[in-house]
Amino acid sequence: MPSATEPVTPPQLDELYRTCVHCGLCLQACPTYRELGLEMDSPRGRIRQVMLVETGQLDLGPGVVEHLDRCLACRACETACPSGVRYGEIIESARARIEQQYRRPLPARVARRIGYRIIADFKLLAHAATLLRFYQRSGARRLAQSSGILRLFRLQQTESLAPQIEDDFFFRELGNSFPAEGARRARVAFLAGCIASVAFAELNRATIRVLQKNGVEVWVPEAQGCCGALHVHAGLQAEAQQLARQNIHAMLASDVDAIVTNAAGCGTTLKEYGALLAADPAFAARAGEFAARVRDVNEFLAALGARPPARTLAARVTYQDPCHLAHGQRVRSAPRELLRLIAPNFVEMPRADSCCGSAGIYNIAQNELSMQILDTKMNDVAATQAEILATANVGCMLQLRAGIARRGLNIQVRHVMELLDDACRGA
Amino acid sequence: MRLSAIRAKLTAICGSRAVLHSKEDLLLYEYDAGLARARPDFVVFPSTTEQVAAVVALASESGLPVVARGAGTGLSGGAIPRSGGIVLAFARMNRILEVDVANQRAVVQPGVVNLELSEHVRPLGFYFAPDPSSQKACTIGGNVAENSGGPHTLASGVTVNHVTGLEVVLADGRIVELGGKSSEAAGYDLTGFFVGSEGTLGITTKIMVKLTRVPEHVSTLLAIYNDVRDAGNTVVEITSAGITPAALEMMDGWTLRAVEAAAHAGYPQDAAAVLLIELEGLRETVDEQVLAVEAACARQNAREVRIAQNDAERQRLWYGRKNAFAAIGRISPSYYTQDGVIPRTRIPQTLEHIQQVAARYSLTIGNVFHAGDGNLHPLILFDDRSPAETEKSIQAGKEILQYCISVGGSLTGEHGVGIEKRDLMPMLFSDEELQVMRRLREALNPRGTLNPEKLIPGARTCMEIRTPQFPGVVS
Amino acid sequence: MIAAEHKLHAAPAEVATPAGESEAAEILRECSRFKTAVVPCGSGLHQHIGLAPQPPFVALKSERLTQVEYYDPGDLTIGVGAGMTLRELDALVKPHGQWLPVLAFPDRASGGNATIGGLLATAMHGPLKHAFGGVREFCIGVRFVTGDGMRAKGGGRVVKNVAGYDLMKLLIGSYGTLGVITSASFKLFPRPRQTATFVCRFPGLQNAMAVRDALMASPLAPLALEIISPGAAALLHGHADDAGWRVLLRASGSDQQLARYRDHLGNAASAELTGEDEAAAWSLLENFESALPPDAVVVAVSCPLSDVAQVLRSAERAALERKISWAGIGRACTGSLLIAFLGGSRPEQSISAVHALRASAPPSANAVIRRCPDSLKAGIALWQLREGELEIMRTFKNALDPAWILNRGRYFV
Ligand SMILES: Cc1cc2nc3c(=O)[nH]c(=O)nc-3n(C[C@H](O)[C@H](O)[C@H](O)COP(=O)(O)OP(=O)(O)OC[C@H]3O[C@@H](n4cnc5c(N)ncnc54)[C@H](O)[C@@H]3O)c2cc1C
Ligand code: SF4
Ligand code: SF4
Repeated sequence: MPSATEPVTPPQLDELYRTCVHCGLCLQACPTYRELGLEMDSPRGRIRQVMLVETGQLDLGPGVVEHLDRCLACRACETACPSGVRYGEIIESARARIEQQYRRPLPARVARRIGYRIIADFKLLAHAATLLRFYQRSGARRLAQSSGILRLFRLQQTESLAPQIEDDFFFRELGNSFPAEGARRARVAFLAGCIASVAFAELNRATIRVLQKNGVEVWVPEAQGCCGALHVHAGLQAEAQQLARQNIHAMLASDVDAIVTNAAGCGTTLKEYGALLAADPAFAARAGEFAARVRDVNEFLAALGARPPARTLAARVTYQDPCHLAHGQRVRSAPRELLRLIAPNFVEMPRADSCCGSAGIYNIAQNELSMQILDTKMNDVAATQAEILATANVGCMLQLRAGIARRGLNIQVRHVMELLDDACRGA
Repeated sequence: MRLSAIRAKLTAICGSRAVLHSKEDLLLYEYDAGLARARPDFVVFPSTTEQVAAVVALASESGLPVVARGAGTGLSGGAIPRSGGIVLAFARMNRILEVDVANQRAVVQPGVVNLELSEHVRPLGFYFAPDPSSQKACTIGGNVAENSGGPHTLASGVTVNHVTGLEVVLADGRIVELGGKSSEAAGYDLTGFFVGSEGTLGITTKIMVKLTRVPEHVSTLLAIYNDVRDAGNTVVEITSAGITPAALEMMDGWTLRAVEAAAHAGYPQDAAAVLLIELEGLRETVDEQVLAVEAACARQNAREVRIAQNDAERQRLWYGRKNAFAAIGRISPSYYTQDGVIPRTRIPQTLEHIQQVAARYSLTIGNVFHAGDGNLHPLILFDDRSPAETEKSIQAGKEILQYCISVGGSLTGEHGVGIEKRDLMPMLFSDEELQVMRRLREALNPRGTLNPEKLIPGARTCMEIRTPQFPGVVS
Repeated sequence: MIAAEHKLHAAPAEVATPAGESEAAEILRECSRFKTAVVPCGSGLHQHIGLAPQPPFVALKSERLTQVEYYDPGDLTIGVGAGMTLRELDALVKPHGQWLPVLAFPDRASGGNATIGGLLATAMHGPLKHAFGGVREFCIGVRFVTGDGMRAKGGGRVVKNVAGYDLMKLLIGSYGTLGVITSASFKLFPRPRQTATFVCRFPGLQNAMAVRDALMASPLAPLALEIISPGAAALLHGHADDAGWRVLLRASGSDQQLARYRDHLGNAASAELTGEDEAAAWSLLENFESALPPDAVVVAVSCPLSDVAQVLRSAERAALERKISWAGIGRACTGSLLIAFLGGSRPEQSISAVHALRASAPPSANAVIRRCPDSLKAGIALWQLREGELEIMRTFKNALDPAWILNRGRYFV
């Protein structure tokens, strides 16, 4: 069995980038190309850079890494690509190679390592969150600003993006089961998500209530950890594989109909456990089985057939596709179906499936570009004249809220599950 | 002038953030969607006409080539700086400057993406008619340079039919306005002549286009055949029955299956060919034409004619067609998109000939094309890692073109001559005829700095028909 | 029936009638060598445009270039010699239910005498331009001989073609200054099987323009929509009794399709013409220029759609102020107008009206003087061209006619 620090070799990279016929049809789907207009920051250009590096025609230097770092991994290019290029896998392999072979300047290196480790460890995360909460609630900025954690999150520059830490974390629910209301239609294992556990505990509770209301029994496995998404995206392949093994261990029980998450980013990664562990003989089969059972909560509910809610919302609602849902999992209609059920005033937003610039820790690592992308997104949001902007991923929610605050718009950002919960409870 | 001095001047003109010069950046501008490769010395991103003029003038002074680039979706190597020099990339000159509904015109910068203009004016009830299959990425500047067509240019005409005015920068840096918002201009039709000149006469910096009213009614049909010849004959029958569909596209069985695997458009898997026929206009006109087209298909042994029942079905049928080329990338490491034209009466025999060529070279060749105007797109599959196979596919492409010309056709209908077909031009034009074109080019581009080595073969090579070379095909 | 042809204003020193391209090339090579001026001639229909040729010159006539190079009815394309007339071409394609949509009634209008070479050289058009555009939109190939005798070719015989420069565009409207056209090929169109013409009469221009605007905002796609000034109506119909503006709209299609036009126009239409009446009405319009008195000063104005009304008003005011009559017709939806000032015995008043029209028309409008007494031509710019464009035109002229022998000194270059 490979050790935790030795990544399993990526899939045949040259087969992946060869499917790119450099037609350029993906260019306008790419948020970074739209902002910068540079071929290097386009999907076609990134694939080419990977290819040139792989074939030894280009050194893996700062000039290349810069552009690969700027990729949001939103995978809009995959949706746009008629040639079926699996871009997500290409960029992940490339990032893995960067982590292995490229020495970033020292501060960046340290910060990245520590950042991903923290998210991997619930205890550390809770600790970080306590500090964050302290920062937000006590107003003791000077104290807070001197702490290493805050510098890591670079709150000085990205303050508006910091999650609003909730007083009551979600960790208490770990290990519990929540019964179905009425006749039981299904039993699911629920992935709490690490940031969500700290900053979106209420969302998790709302999700569980909505599932219960729809006749679903929800089990929150205790030994679950981070899904590993951030690690995969950052090229920390070995860590990601280790987390996958841990989650498969913790959550894959024979009596669950589905493994459900309300975080689109986590969902995409969970669905890719099969590929992630394909080369690990001990886990490959179970990883495949696990991946096949993963459902985004929207997808799961829409397929199950959501029960009509107690009331509908009068507000004008629009929807932002989380990249990981629309492009990563090709789930587009399910959240819209659910929203139409509760919001008769639903309007489509132009370019709803274009990334908001959040993308994991992108908004922190690439703050300036991320804000540029966000501002462009806000033009489209404002054009819909919606009062509620719904989405289905906590990362997106944070970023969209920051964008709305920057613009001074008066729009609420809500998770589809929160809106369903409101409607179910008649609140 | 040394390159470092030129770099300093370019930076002075456009600012340092608008000039690329490092090897790793330049490597990303050595390709487009075609097969040719060559690296520029600089890539410059102008944001104003004046900057373009200054760069072009500088290039002329220093004898450096200038090659414009839109989105790099060109298939004939037009945007490839074959002998180095400056690539003028228009990605940042992408504003829609004016929408003049009263005059049914829009004024755009060359970097505006084709589909974005249509989407911008659709709420007003208009669209930009030329719709190359690459429309979600290609720029209007590129469309103008190539005189691009698309599925819907059968009835509505290609790019040149929709451009009424241009602002161009000439080789010496002069800025000139050609035409305007009127439908005709006095004197020579310079606007019309510049469209399709592939950036060899001037650099376009502003484009005045016609906007077309969204039709009242659209109907899309899919006619399915067990024999390719019947599909070809249907095209002739529809055309000569006096019906000009908005679009009349054909896909052969092999392509159909490949596309279906990628696009899930609902195409039949076992057919020998399908026609995708779109009719648009007044509701009454369309209704009558649908009946007439159905009858024509039936007479030519169509085994089934499906009519899209709603917009979603229509979109699905088109999704497969619009993404057809690139979908081939899923099944072949590389492919060569040919672009020949034949009289519409010659479709069946030409398709037969293409299959003979395929057999002779043991290559797979699919066909997906604008049947309504006889514009063929044989897709030749090959593996670009094998030089022998690359050579073979280029030879096969050439043979197909030779056949097209022999039945009265042309060697390109919309993708342009560029580098790819430059040396094939003598198949179509005599030395004298080429000399006349060369004179016109030299009149406006005396130092040859504007997109050199494209479109017209040089004096030395024009006597012999050479097989095009694709330098640096990366394997 | 057919108006007298306008002949060359001076006798040629020599008349050459080449039988083909290589003969034409040989003649031009020789003329170029001796810098002898050459005036390419078709049927002479448009020789009045521009300045009169200065003798000595050679008239190069296309009358023997009347061959049909190919006709593929299934493909709807045809290639013919430059000397064939529109009327002859029409007779050829009509039996196949096809037409070249330049003139709807080439058998009646004097324009039917125009040769293919003349059609291209002058970018001639009529009311059908509304639906089909000018000849630039459907000429798919051209062969010509340059001033110094090189045989050139643009396009070919297929309807879509981007191989090489689009020389058709350069030659169309070049008035024989770049080369002598020897043959051309065209995309043909299905002839409409059933048509009807709706006549609308209005007291004022404003109402007429309202009909145009409503039509342009509708999905209707007529064959032609022509606006006719009161003076033009009087002239065409030979009586001056009703002083209103007219809009003539010609539609094609089945009964149901025609019904849509009827519904759309409602009571704006005062009459509906079919058959012989319809043909008579349109051939009068197609014949408008030839029907004008010989002393008329005629300008072709092209302008953006939103300026059509202003141009017509400017013309009206210019005539009124000079107490002369005027007549104007045109394609209200393409912005191509033909305006005649009828100064009668005072042609200088007509010229003055042209000056006034140019001065008061919107800057985007372009007014070319098509007809004017020779004695007055020197006093007015016949063309309105911007210097930048003109410079390019001269560059191209130099490239294709280095000795400047073709129609030397007659047009804009
Ligand atoms: C999948 C696919 C499908 C396609 N389908 C079609 C189709 O249906 N119909 C069709 O006609 N083509 C098609 N093409 C070809 C291509 O998309 C068109 O030729 C398009 O117009 C190129 O636009 P671009 O912006 O990518 O131009 P580029 O490829 O960047 O450049 C093309 C040419 O334009 C010149 N140019 C660009 N901008 C300027 C400027 N401002 N001034 C002067 N010259 C300039 C360049 O120098 C070059 O010669 C397709 C291509 C692909 C990959
Ligand atoms: S990723 Fe896909 S869409 Fe983009 S250039 Fe490659 S093949 Fe074309
Ligand atoms: S993943 Fe997103 S940001 Fe990255 S190349 Fe694709 S579209 Fe662009």
